[in-house]
Amino acid sequence: MSLLSTRTTSKETPLVKNRRTRVIAVLMALIGIFTVFVFGWGSESRAHSSLTFTPLNLTNAPWHLGSLTVVTRWTDVVLGLVMIAAAAEVFVRQPRRAVMARFGGVAILFLLALLFWAARSPGPSPVSSVNITTILVGSSAAAMVLIFGSLSGVMCERAGVVNIAIEGQFIGGAFLGSMIVSTTHDFFFAAIAGAVAGALIGLVLAFLSLRYRSDQIIVGVVLVTMLSSLSSYLNLQVLTPFPNFNTGNLAPNLAIPLLSKIPIIGPVFFNQSGFFYLMIVLVAAVSFALFKTRYGLHVRAVGEHPRAAATVGINVIRVRYINVVLGGAIAGLGGVAFMATQGQFQVGYTSGWGYIALAALIFGRWRPSGAVVASIIFGLSVYLSYELVTYQVPVSIYILQMIPYLITIAVVAGLIGRVRAPAADGQPYLRD
Amino acid sequence: MSEVTAAPPRPSLWVRYTSSSPIVVTVFALVLGLVVGALIIITTTPAVLDAWRAIFHGWDGVPHALNVTFNNVGAAYRSMFTGSIVDPQGFWHSLVTGKGWTNTLTPISETFTYATPLVIVSIGVGIAFQTGLFNIGANGQAVIGGISGTVVGSMLHMPTILHLPLTLLAGIAGGMICGAVPGVLKAYTGAHEVIVTLMFNYVAYAFLLFMVLSTPFQQPGQQNDISRTMDPSAQLAPLFGSSSGLRVSFGVFVAALVVAFAWWLLNRSSLGFDFRVTGANPSAARASGINARSVIVVAFLISGGLAGLAGVVQVASTTHYIDGGFLIGNAGIGFTAITVALLGRNKPMGIVWAALLFAALGVGGRNMQAATGIPLDLATVIQSVIVLFVATPVLVKEIFRLRGVSTASVQLATTGWGS
Repeated sequence: MSLLSTRTTSKETPLVKNRRTRVIAVLMALIGIFTVFVFGWGSESRAHSSLTFTPLNLTNAPWHLGSLTVVTRWTDVVLGLVMIAAAAEVFVRQPRRAVMARFGGVAILFLLALLFWAARSPGPSPVSSVNITTILVGSSAAAMVLIFGSLSGVMCERAGVVNIAIEGQFIGGAFLGSMIVSTTHDFFFAAIAGAVAGALIGLVLAFLSLRYRSDQIIVGVVLVTMLSSLSSYLNLQVLTPFPNFNTGNLAPNLAIPLLSKIPIIGPVFFNQSGFFYLMIVLVAAVSFALFKTRYGLHVRAVGEHPRAAATVGINVIRVRYINVVLGGAIAGLGGVAFMATQGQFQVGYTSGWGYIALAALIFGRWRPSGAVVASIIFGLSVYLSYELVTYQVPVSIYILQMIPYLITIAVVAGLIGRVRAPAADGQPYLRD
Repeated sequence: MSEVTAAPPRPSLWVRYTSSSPIVVTVFALVLGLVVGALIIITTTPAVLDAWRAIFHGWDGVPHALNVTFNNVGAAYRSMFTGSIVDPQGFWHSLVTGKGWTNTLTPISETFTYATPLVIVSIGVGIAFQTGLFNIGANGQAVIGGISGTVVGSMLHMPTILHLPLTLLAGIAGGMICGAVPGVLKAYTGAHEVIVTLMFNYVAYAFLLFMVLSTPFQQPGQQNDISRTMDPSAQLAPLFGSSSGLRVSFGVFVAALVVAFAWWLLNRSSLGFDFRVTGANPSAARASGINARSVIVVAFLISGGLAGLAGVVQVASTTHYIDGGFLIGNAGIGFTAITVALLGRNKPMGIVWAALLFAALGVGGRNMQAATGIPLDLATVIQSVIVLFVATPVLVKEIFRLRGVSTASVQLATTGWGS
């Protein structure tokens, strides 16, 4: 690692840090206790939950895993105890790293426990089994979009520009992507168009915040408002009169021979649309470019200490321009990928995913790998919160829909202060 | 510009006028916003595009195309003006005959009706900006304020003298609770308020749908997402009586009180001084003994409370009930408020003018949609373009070749993610 490594250098006293870790541990323990008593003891002792693994849409799967039937009460008690154990570990050992990752894990376990409880067999739910593979496939689609968004954030923020406009780039990419795929029936052109749309939005952000040093967060927010209303305007003015421009389509799945036939893992990782594979390539490429190349060193230098970077001859403004535009293109691709999992464009259907991606970026400590892990956790929680509706959980669907956002708030609140943003993130650079 | 230089020659009147006043930048930004709006109309209206297509068939197509373009753009902006301020013909007619005043005054009354909550919520956002905090969750706070106000206004019954103040207070309390969360989190954990307030918007929207579809609050006998209606004793009555047909209500006075309060708070109180010092220079504030945490929490309480008040004023002065789409969306009042606060440079009186302008654009946009079929969202696009330019005054000066180097007007309301 170089001089510019991003080791956590917290200015806080250890005492404050300990207290904060303990608060998180207590929160985790409360969730665990709730799980044990409400989901565990709350279900009848004879209730069973069955887990199935064969995806419904893969009728001729070459493999067949039988269903696994578990006693609901004891499964949820065990899940709750695991959460409490994790809480105790955090409370006693006070690990320096990955506290929030444990918190995210507890959140996911909680949702799973909720799912088991909801699907218990003498119970209110019309769906009597939990299909693990379907859940993983469904949340992988959500995670994919979030990964595109948070990778875009990594690109921009490592160079010291806050890209709040990810949501706007999603909207732009989804809108243009839907138009192009409806007219050309080719997702390749749609991907290019979406990337261009995202890059153009990134260019506006870069132009206003780098050349004129205006407030990056304000420009980003206003860009989102503008893109959102512009897409609504164009939807009424163009897509409604000419519905052929918005027939939309789902991206076809490209099965990788042999690998796609592995149980569970196959459908999740090797039978996905092209965007999924593109996302994996992009994660690898961005990680490599940022941490293993000379250019990446320049980018991180610009994000940490632009003045020092300029002193050694790096063109700060140019590096930032390149990264913000590339990051915009990635987020635009994410918009197309979102469209490709949802079908045609609809106004307002990204519903804040761009902001969740931003939180995933913070959760992932401004690293591509961390962003992937965070996006998977957020993707699972987003997907499960929608999925629980079909189980007719005796809680309003609207309350369930709050869950991903509340987890995001909890994670961000528990996290900031213990992770460090690139030092010059959000600061305009004054060339002297 | 620290070094002492010889007195420069006195610049000409034009240069002095265009370089000093921020109003000039605002006016030019407005012009640019309207130009961008016109370009959008031109490129998306089929009739205009067809007219331009004809120029490939002969020269005589050009004047026709220009004519069609000007007609379409002109009709859009004319309907925006007549729908939000006054229709000159109708005004003249009323003046001569003394009749039809309701129709003549409706546009301006609508503009004020729309501006009333907008002023209140924008002042909340502006106070947060002055403290260096970005309250992007004003929309969610207004939604919660609207819900709690409507709960008190529709489910409790008492005389007006108690009911109306209690309803407004309930709205303030709802917004305050919603604003306290990001404030406390920011102060004690350093969680960036932008993420927390944004996420809270979505929580508030989900809560709104939950409320308007759940039994005690839903309109009895309704399956739709509609709440109970406020008692007349909780409503803000129309200013000119309910028989006048004009919707502008006593909420105008609530907004005026808020403006006065904000002016006093920011300019005359020691708390406001703490706010502004914290916003201008956090380390100086800390050095001079200002408790940064309590400043953040109190600023968010005030900001959220005002947003909640705006939500309840919106309900109490217009619809008297809320539905599942109340204030939702990117054109929601809280997002417009951010742009209004920026346009008004976070000062109470500036915000009033900016809110009136944006209210006129919004109300006029509605009329434009009805008259010409151009979607209302164009008004929001124009508003965002205006604010983008206002946030980058240097760009405006370059475009219009205004001289003067007032880089001081570059607004930095936020910093990075650090605490």
